[in-house]
Amino acid sequence: MSGIVTYIERDFLKWSRGRVAVISALIMPAAWLIFVGLALPVRFTGNYLDFITPGILVMTMLTAGLSGGTLLMFDKILGFLNKFLALPTPREDILIGKILFITGRGLIQTSIILVIAVLIGATLLSPLQYGLIYIVLFLFGVLIAAFSTTIALYLDDHDSYSAFNTMISMPLFFTSSALMPYDVMPPWLATIARLNPLSYAIDAVRDVGSGGLPLGSVSLLTIMALLVLVCSITVFRKVTI
Amino acid sequence: MTLAIETTALTRYYDDLCAVDHLSLSVNNEIFALLGPNGSGKTTTVLMLTTLLHPTTGTATVCGHNITTEAGQVRNCISYVPQDMAVDIRLTGRENVHLFAKLYGVKNPKDRTDEVLAVMELTDRADDLIKTYSGGMRRRLELAQALVHEPEVLFLDEPTLGLDVAARKKIWEHIRGLRQKGMTIFVTTHYMDEADQFCDRVGIISNGKIAALGSPEELKARLMKDVITVRIEGQYPDHPVDAVSYVGQSGDEVTFTAENGSEALPHLAKTLESRGVRVHAIDLHEPTLDDVFLQAVGPQEEPHGFSDAKFRIMLRRRK
Repeated sequence: MSGIVTYIERDFLKWSRGRVAVISALIMPAAWLIFVGLALPVRFTGNYLDFITPGILVMTMLTAGLSGGTLLMFDKILGFLNKFLALPTPREDILIGKILFITGRGLIQTSIILVIAVLIGATLLSPLQYGLIYIVLFLFGVLIAAFSTTIALYLDDHDSYSAFNTMISMPLFFTSSALMPYDVMPPWLATIARLNPLSYAIDAVRDVGSGGLPLGSVSLLTIMALLVLVCSITVFRKVTI
Repeated sequence: MTLAIETTALTRYYDDLCAVDHLSLSVNNEIFALLGPNGSGKTTTVLMLTTLLHPTTGTATVCGHNITTEAGQVRNCISYVPQDMAVDIRLTGRENVHLFAKLYGVKNPKDRTDEVLAVMELTDRADDLIKTYSGGMRRRLELAQALVHEPEVLFLDEPTLGLDVAARKKIWEHIRGLRQKGMTIFVTTHYMDEADQFCDRVGIISNGKIAALGSPEELKARLMKDVITVRIEGQYPDHPVDAVSYVGQSGDEVTFTAENGSEALPHLAKTLESRGVRVHAIDLHEPTLDDVFLQAVGPQEEPHGFSDAKFRIMLRRRK
């Protein structure tokens, strides 16, 4: 347990010392929020900003999670992983610490996006609702972080991973329910969107925002996160003998 | 008393490439150097002993614990410094060491960190970012990280690679200091002079096999008294010459040994001239590990040529 905390501490310390990375990670979601959320002339909902904010929050988690996949791969390439693996600390702590760091970093970024959204006109929710949103985002974050870390460990080189990242991040976002409700989508898109794990998280956050309690999506996200976590641990054990 | 390290027919294959071939060694409380050219199996051996790689066959114990079945206990009593120089450059020296102190579960991580930083003479630079450290300082910082939990056995993979002469000397002085405190140190290197000067015992490894084993003095004594190196043109014809014995040829340098070098020297020169060998220079010196190495494994050029595919396999597995 203390090993996990120490590994997370190391990553946060490293992250906080690189200012460019901290700020640049916020530019894209903030731009979406402002330029699309405020400017798009849509007629299917009252306050479009309220509609798109859950989508942008989940997108922030997605980008943070996918870009975090390279962290463990670089630790491996640069020799840190071998040093850590030779320590008496349980080896899985390295992986769990990494996944929790990536998720935690994503949550910090989404908090800032949330503040910006409220500042430019999104409806203020109750503390309980924000708590529920954080739970949904956390589960989604663990799902994506475990997934990206596994893929990165498996692919084993940075160029292939960034190609993979570019390949899946935008299609995942556009085929989700982030930008429009299912009933205004073309039927083929609606079918894909209903299968997209991003939509589960977005719909759950939206549900919370309109006063609902999305138990179904939350339990589904939990199951998916656990499944990917198990895969991740298996792959990790395999690549570290 | 249990031996610090004992390997029994330790073997490791990378696909069909045999990196370590039935290696049997025992290392007691000493500075032991595994000496060999690049790709001879040194790093693979260290990776197996530090539980980072499973042997294909054979087994080994470190501090009495089996490296495959009791890997956890092995990791409890060792420290490992790989050759990559992996320290976080955006963190300070103190933060880097403190991180390891906590990961090792040391009792007073703060005090212990200060202690080892002082031992490695890094106290006055402890709060600077690693970015500003020189190569030698980074290496000493890695030693500090490895020492925070007071390991019984310390594994150092090429600890002086890429350092200047002064920094190398300093690293070795520290290693000697640790030995005096009772630590066992297992080091790999391809610098013969360092092994000669600082290690208690060396094992010369070539193509995954031990070619010679013993203290530097013993190994050198096994060659005869004096070593004569002759620089000639072309290939040595290998006809025996009285009073000297042929050791080997590396490039245009031919090495001989002799009981009495200064007496054998004129004789050798005359004989070579009479056989039509053009001699450029002759040098007489006491035997060094280089000579031992030449005798044990032959010339240091890669004998099988360079196999790109095999090299890639090794690189991939090493990461």
